[in-house]
Amino acid sequence: MTSMTASMNPFSLSQISGASGGKAPLADAVNEVGSESIDSDSNEALLVAVGLDQDSVAFQKLFERFSRKIFALGMKLTRNEQLANDLVQEAMLKVWQKAPLYDLDRGTAQSWIFTLARNRCFDMLRKQKRQPQTVVNSDDIWPNEADFEPGFVNEEEGTQAVEVAQVERFYDDLPVAQREVIEQIYIHDLTHEEAAANLRIPLGTLKSRLRLGLSKLRILIGVTQ
Amino acid sequence: MNFVASHEPPPEMVEDFFRGNLSTGLSVAVSAHLEMSGGYASACQSVESKIGDDWEIGSDCKESLDAAAAVKKITSQPQASVHDISEKRSRPTEMHMLERSIKLPKVLAKVASEGLVWKNLAGGISSALLKLDDKTQCEFLYIKPGAKVPLHRHQGNEFTLVLDGSFHDAGGEYHPADFLVRNGDHQHQPASEEGCLCFSVLDSPLKFTSGLARLFNPLNKYRFRRATS
Repeated sequence: MTSMTASMNPFSLSQISGASGGKAPLADAVNEVGSESIDSDSNEALLVAVGLDQDSVAFQKLFERFSRKIFALGMKLTRNEQLANDLVQEAMLKVWQKAPLYDLDRGTAQSWIFTLARNRCFDMLRKQKRQPQTVVNSDDIWPNEADFEPGFVNEEEGTQAVEVAQVERFYDDLPVAQREVIEQIYIHDLTHEEAAANLRIPLGTLKSRLRLGLSKLRILIGVTQ
Repeated sequence: MNFVASHEPPPEMVEDFFRGNLSTGLSVAVSAHLEMSGGYASACQSVESKIGDDWEIGSDCKESLDAAAAVKKITSQPQASVHDISEKRSRPTEMHMLERSIKLPKVLAKVASEGLVWKNLAGGISSALLKLDDKTQCEFLYIKPGAKVPLHRHQGNEFTLVLDGSFHDAGGEYHPADFLVRNGDHQHQPASEEGCLCFSVLDSPLKFTSGLARLFNPLNKYRFRRATS
């Protein structure tokens, strides 16, 4: 998969091994994005379990919590019981399929599911009104992965010679959440999926923390792209 | 409704956007504006509490779905993978105009991805028409450096999002991410020194109000009909 080899790895094991041991000072923990401990019965925890483990029991719970709400939304927007039932199935299917893309750092599970459900409903209404077929669908217009920051971290880039001691120092300045992710990928050489499973965070969250962490390191070190 | 020379869509339009009440063309314009201005997430959050009651469970809610069967059917499907994330984010979002490479907001990059056909209009303006719904005429408009659009008035509303460069009219100067609303009360004559790429949505044909450009009016009606039928 996306396992990195040492040669293209800007922060390889030998470079930062010394920095991985210490626990983060409290100030870092306060700065951190996202919360580390989530109630295992919260919508967020259930959605993460669906995304990481294909946990069908967790999915069942989400289905029970949200299907009536989605049905209500469908009735309100389509005024058609059959369509509202279809909407529940289509929206919950999307929840299942897209659960790995959910990002803990960007909002509640409820608002994520709400957006998915509304988008399915808008697509349905558009089809019903026989609006012309276009290349854009509702997920393009009302994106859930509201990730508008330009560019995605390109791990092939940035093979810079950086002083080891320097990296160590800056590495300690990263928020724990971001440092954990970088450790998993660059020190333990895990794939993104493995790292996400270890940390119990969704892939989408892992990717965004990795990107934030690496770009913060680059800024701290003064590497310009 | 009388619009002032604001550089943002009015708040009620943003709310209608999240409610799904706008035409597809105008929704694309508002979405692209919110992406460019970096305000998408906060706009979404502030509207969420208002539109959240859409899924409050009313008395008419008797869903007749076999939940167990539905869950079983759904969980037998494959899920999205890490590749889907990367693929989505690596979509090209650049547009080339003359010598410039212009970064487009994602939704417009998707709109443009099917290929654009550029046509030269009067006075140094080029247009690439798009078909997004049957109520509006949507197009990318490019004003060449130094060009002036003939003085015109709108019968309905014209919504313009600046994507690159700048232009000005009597109301002020507009830069990337600026969102303008012009209606029948305004007569205006946009001009650009450095050139300007815009995305424009019209809900009825343009009407030029001065000089020889008036000869284009029948053509404007024809373009609008073609764009919306």
